Amino acid sequence: MPSLSGNNVPGLLKGFKLDLRVVSVISLVLFITIWESIIRAGLVAPLFLPAPSMIVNDFMRLYERGEIWFHISASARRVLIGFALAGSIAVPLGILLGASKFLKAVADPLLSILRPLPSMSWIPLSLLWLGITETQKYSIVFMGSFAPTVLYTIEATRSIDPVIIRAALNLGASRARLMREVILPGSLPMIVSGLKVMLGIAWTTVISAELVAADKGLGYLIMDGREFFRTEQVLLGMALISITVMTIDIAFRSVEKKIIPWMEG
Amino acid sequence: MANTVIQVNDLTKIFETKKEKVTALQDVNLTIKNREFVVLVGASGCGKTTLINTIAGFEKPTSGEVLLHGEPVTGIDPRCGMVFQQYALFDWKTVINNVDFGLKMKGMKLKERRELAQQYIDMVGLQGFENAYPSQLSGGMKQRVSLARTLANNPEIMLLDEPFAALDAMTRQVLQEELIRIYSESQKTILFITHSIDEALLLSTRVSVMTSRPGKIKQFLENDLPWPRDADVQLHPRYQELKSEVWSTVQEEVMKTAGLLGADKDKC
Ligand SMILES: Nc1ncnc2c1ncn2[C@@H]1O[C@H](COP(=O)(O)OP(=O)(O)OP(=O)(O)O)[C@@H](O)[C@H]1O
Ligand SMILES: [Mg+2]
Repeated sequence: MPSLSGNNVPGLLKGFKLDLRVVSVISLVLFITIWESIIRAGLVAPLFLPAPSMIVNDFMRLYERGEIWFHISASARRVLIGFALAGSIAVPLGILLGASKFLKAVADPLLSILRPLPSMSWIPLSLLWLGITETQKYSIVFMGSFAPTVLYTIEATRSIDPVIIRAALNLGASRARLMREVILPGSLPMIVSGLKVMLGIAWTTVISAELVAADKGLGYLIMDGREFFRTEQVLLGMALISITVMTIDIAFRSVEKKIIPWMEG
Repeated sequence: MANTVIQVNDLTKIFETKKEKVTALQDVNLTIKNREFVVLVGASGCGKTTLINTIAGFEKPTSGEVLLHGEPVTGIDPRCGMVFQQYALFDWKTVINNVDFGLKMKGMKLKERRELAQQYIDMVGLQGFENAYPSQLSGGMKQRVSLARTLANNPEIMLLDEPFAALDAMTRQVLQEELIRIYSESQKTILFITHSIDEALLLSTRVSVMTSRPGKIKQFLENDLPWPRDADVQLHPRYQELKSEVWSTVQEEVMKTAGLLGADKDKC
């Protein structure tokens, strides 16, 4: 069967790729234009759905008051601190439990009880214990991601091909060396992909917590807009969440390439 | 015997899976003396890897024992350097870091172990790939890294599980000759697995043939072809005699495997 490989038609394929990107841009512009004209034509009340230009105006209003970065950084700090705390304790613990059947048996019951609890279910208790504080936000992220991260890390260490471990021991590796040189790097790709999922969940958790009770952050921005019937502020908050999470995702991916350079793609 | 390096006594290995019990090895006896180069041939699935894994301490015998220098093997023993059938490379380490791994474990200084590793990388023809990751190599190149890694560690006993299976004919010949050279120049004792009778006769001081499952050692054959050897050994008049002798035993076993498969099907 004749195939259209890249070697035969490089120009065509390249042009095609470029076209797709243009298509995406056009699609976005078209979407925003249609949305804008529907509101301008008065088909839908702005209170119900404000036009994109109104959202941009609201952005400028808050930007001039320095509030945009204030809310983004408030949410991002909560996410990153809670996530870093959970990760830096859960990953080493998971590796340790992965290596010791005894310790795993000790920890198993508690981890199994904690794991099914969604992060959000910690909100009431954390408010009771810690009030509407920063620590309360960190703690729900921590509680929500700790047990899943430990369990996922254990699974990652178990996923290493036993032949690789045999090879290392056969070459004279001690237990400690085996951990550092084989188990840790060998399970790193899976751990990192688990952390990526946890980071996404951490965002959901923080925004939800801010929707319930907070004095700043993107979730707060949304709730504040709702309270004063400023629907454009609600949508602005949502757009900012979307953009921030996308940016952090891209940053995470470049970090990922640095710490696991042997993985392709 | 003080001279004995590896001794396998009545070794039986049964794998128990949820569904069935597989007798991989039954009453295997094998004695390998100091500086012998024993090549083991046998049909696929007859238990060769299982035998070599038990000698290396990766698997525990179901019954019987394996002795190294007269002492029972109780765990993974770095005196036996293994070259794995599936390469078993560290994906997260570059070629040179794979090759110098054993030296690093011994506590050798970076500069020293790099130099030594480089020698073995050159030997297996991978210069220029020192900083490549295994995922960027072909199967044959991975196999060569695996060989270099074990050689660099300079073990007293070498266990090689089909180390040249994935190589092209030319590279295979180069590495076979290197292995002959290393063997001739060192005091190593070698157990080598292959499917190729030609390879067995080229390398070995002794050939042993395994039966099809459950594996037993069926035949020992002193390989008295003259040393030093190279590919020209095939032209020696004794070569054809030895080859047909090994071949007739192997053929019998291969036929039996085919027959057994038929019988198994009938049972189902
Ligand atoms: N871990 C295991 N669990 C269950 N069965 C196993 C296991 N390892 C090997 N076996 C079985 O034992 C038998 C011998 O396997 P082994 O790998 O030793 O064969 P082999 O002679 O090395 O074959 P090949 O030449 O194809 O590499 C096979 O039937 C295999 O299915
Ligand atoms: Mg095998």
